[in-house]
Amino acid sequence: MTEPAELMRGTLDLLILKAVSLGPVHGYGVLLRIEQISGGAFSIEQGSLYPALYKLEFTGMLAAEWGTSDSNRRAKYYQLTAAGRKRLREETTGWRRVVAAMAAALSARAEEA
Amino acid sequence: MFSRTRHLWRALFHRGQWERNLDDELQWHLDNRVEDLIRRGQTPEEAERTARIELGSRESQKERCREVHGLRWPDEIKQDLLYAARLLRRSPGFTAVAILSLALGIGANTVVFSALNVLLLRPLPVASPGELRFVERDGFPVHHFARYVEMRDRNKTFSGLIAYEFVALAIEDGASPRYAQAYLATGNYFDVLGVRPQLGRFFGPEDDLKAGAHPVAVLSDTYWRSRFAADPQIVGKTVRVNSLPYTVVGVAPAGFYGTELFYRPEMWIPMRMQPQVEGISLLETYDRGPSRIMIVGRLRPGVTPRQAEADLGSISAASPLGAPEFQGDWNRINLTPPGLIGDQFRRPAEAFASGVMVLSAMVLLAACANLASLLAARTLDRSHELAIRSSIGAGRGRIARQLLSESLLISILGGAAGYILAFFLLRALSAWRVAAGVAVQIDGRPDWRVMAFAAAAALLTGILFGVAPARQAWASRNTRGDLPGRATRPRWRFREALLPVQIALCCAVLTASLVSFRGLSRSFRTHLGFDPRGLAVASTNLAFARYDPENGRVFQRRVLDELSRVPGVEAAAYANALPLSAANSMWVLFPENATDSWPAKGALANTYRVSPGYFRTMGTRLIRGREFTWRDSAWTRETAIVNETFARTILHSREAIGRHFRYSRRGPLVEVIGLVEDGKYVAPAEKALPVVFWPANQEYESAMTLVVRSSGTEQAAAMRIREVVAGLDPRLPLFNVGSLRDTIDFQFLPARIATVALSAFGLLAAMLAVTGIYGLAHHAVSGQIRDIGIRVALGASPWQVLHPLLGRTLMLLALGSCAGLALGLAADRAISSVVYQASARDPVVLAGAALGMVLIGFAATWAPARRALSADPLIALRHE
Repeated sequence: MTEPAELMRGTLDLLILKAVSLGPVHGYGVLLRIEQISGGAFSIEQGSLYPALYKLEFTGMLAAEWGTSDSNRRAKYYQLTAAGRKRLREETTGWRRVVAAMAAALSARAEEA
Repeated sequence: MFSRTRHLWRALFHRGQWERNLDDELQWHLDNRVEDLIRRGQTPEEAERTARIELGSRESQKERCREVHGLRWPDEIKQDLLYAARLLRRSPGFTAVAILSLALGIGANTVVFSALNVLLLRPLPVASPGELRFVERDGFPVHHFARYVEMRDRNKTFSGLIAYEFVALAIEDGASPRYAQAYLATGNYFDVLGVRPQLGRFFGPEDDLKAGAHPVAVLSDTYWRSRFAADPQIVGKTVRVNSLPYTVVGVAPAGFYGTELFYRPEMWIPMRMQPQVEGISLLETYDRGPSRIMIVGRLRPGVTPRQAEADLGSISAASPLGAPEFQGDWNRINLTPPGLIGDQFRRPAEAFASGVMVLSAMVLLAACANLASLLAARTLDRSHELAIRSSIGAGRGRIARQLLSESLLISILGGAAGYILAFFLLRALSAWRVAAGVAVQIDGRPDWRVMAFAAAAALLTGILFGVAPARQAWASRNTRGDLPGRATRPRWRFREALLPVQIALCCAVLTASLVSFRGLSRSFRTHLGFDPRGLAVASTNLAFARYDPENGRVFQRRVLDELSRVPGVEAAAYANALPLSAANSMWVLFPENATDSWPAKGALANTYRVSPGYFRTMGTRLIRGREFTWRDSAWTRETAIVNETFARTILHSREAIGRHFRYSRRGPLVEVIGLVEDGKYVAPAEKALPVVFWPANQEYESAMTLVVRSSGTEQAAAMRIREVVAGLDPRLPLFNVGSLRDTIDFQFLPARIATVALSAFGLLAAMLAVTGIYGLAHHAVSGQIRDIGIRVALGASPWQVLHPLLGRTLMLLALGSCAGLALGLAADRAISSVVYQASARDPVVLAGAALGMVLIGFAATWAPARRALSADPLIALRHE
């Protein structure tokens, strides 16, 4: 089993948006979902999860609502807003472009340079 | 953006809920994590521990969440304020002095600003008052009605042009007719002003078509409530006005009093009723006879005042009716803001109010300087504490902000106290009426502008006197707690710079208050051109009882005959108006020959119509010639009496008698038959004015003021006038009845207000100066008490001891005083426009100001000097 990769700067917000886009979820659920969708490749430092969530909520990317969980407890559920959905789309495109560019750059050969 | 404000709002104002939610969310996370970890095989204790470590410090988590929600600043400010409040509570003496001096400074400024607000800033109670303009013709506020009609019908720049006139009425709504003030107004008046009646309807253009055909009236809210107990059935009822029945058609809304700020009419009557109300018709006259109509227009959207002035000016110039002598400059139209009879009262009111405002601002500045030096000293005394704070990690910015929030807290408290002070003062002021019989009332209740002003003044002062110490803290890079004495230097320089500023401000205010004091005391002794002692007066208008000119003349003569038969009456006379009575009229006069050196536009003179015996009754000295007799009438040659200034500046002759001039360019010649001494006519502080007196018997005027000189008391004589008039015609109500001295008293009001205000400011400034100098001297002595002790012990003379200590302070005092005197001299002109003969070039004023500053210096340095001279070297050494 490989060590979970250190999360790159700026990717946490994107991962949170992605995780929430899959359906309303509470804070702890976001953590689990990110681990799940990344196949355990990323480990999120839990200390930075809530500030990130609060920031996204504050800037209007996420909307939060208090609901009741399966265990009948009060829990805060996050879901994407229209602005959040737009941001996710934009960032995804941007990220793909970066990945493609990086891949092209790293596969360059010596004689072509 | 919206989301941010919403979240911040919720976080700020539902803080408890917000914090509980955050707690719940983190707890939920932990509980779930623990469950998961247990499921993966950890023991509950282990799981709990792991989960906590993974999440990290809960407090720092929460702090970061708060930060991203924008709560950091509000939280820190709250901390700062709480800390500042604790500090202020710990030094109640300093806090009390600081808040009190600010409260006085801000309170004074708020009162003055409130007066300015009422006079000049508050809009009229009509729709879009900013579009309204008052029309002046060559600087004159009044027009002939026919000229108004011409302008109304031919202009292209106003969406509406209205005309109105102040008028005195006798209203019969009680036992006997009562004097009242009202407006004659054109039919489009209410429509153009955009007001809605609260009851019934307003009169409109259809009620203002034919002269004398529309006896309808609109009542003011105050009148309707006070006389008719707000009767909801009032519409359709009849009120007798000047002996004619008028039908009430509606009631104006509360708070609507027309277009003049200082006039409170009881009713409005259509302009076309003017001949019925005033007894003679002024509706057809054009460039002839009296003009009393005032015009206000509403500019069309997009039209500039310049365009409108040009438009009306060309209409006036092209008028086919215009008299030849009123051409050229006479057709220059200027538009002014409405409210104070155009610019007639605005300019002096503005000059006065801004002068007082500047002075009160100076006092506030002096208070700021004082507080700044107090705070700066305090900051240095606290350098130990500040050093500790900075060594445990407080940034310089954080410390500066802490100091600034302290001064802001002081200024907010001071501002609140000042506002409360001003509020009660203003309430007292607005309950008070200028003079009996004058329908003038100042509505001084503070509105939002005044509150905003007080708040801005408080914040500004807080920043002004707080920045200095904050800057000091910012600059002291390596503040070291162990060397508090090192920081003494900047304190000296800073406070020494502030002191002369403060002294100069104080001295200027002191000079100004002395100037106005001298002026006021002189104005009570000034020669008015008549002797008010022993004079009783009463005014009426024969139009109240619908006299025609013929019967009017007969009545006027009979009243004088009856009055002169009353025992104790030495002389009796009447005039259309008396000097200093606020009723002024002006005439334009023309030379006998075109070759005479007269002003091209004709000469302007104030005029009065007076009966025979007027000058003898008033106690005005007749220098040459004779008084009018009953033979000076419409059927003989035209005669006039002029004053010295008229003779000197217009006739260019000391011998005025026998000289001639004309009413109009080709009018009949008027012969000067008498020359009387100069007096005061419009205001006690005026420069000498040219004045012409016409014989009352020459042209009938229904307005009359009776004057009686008697050997008894003025009040008793006033009662006799009442009895005589009531005996002759009970339909004639009198107004402004009493001693002449009382009725002209309001003329001295501005001077009185100025003097009271300036004295209060002077006292405040002197107090501030004493505390400022004392503080400086006290510090100088405390800092060197050891050296002083040794010098005293070694036998130094008092001069040798005091010179190095207080020499600088006193030099700063002298420097500041000189600057202040210069400033006071510069303010001289502003004061002399309000207070008669006020001048700072008066040796008494200069000596008084200098003496005042010396006394202040003495009072402030006395205690420190005594302390220095009695310094005991042993105590000083032991202290070490």
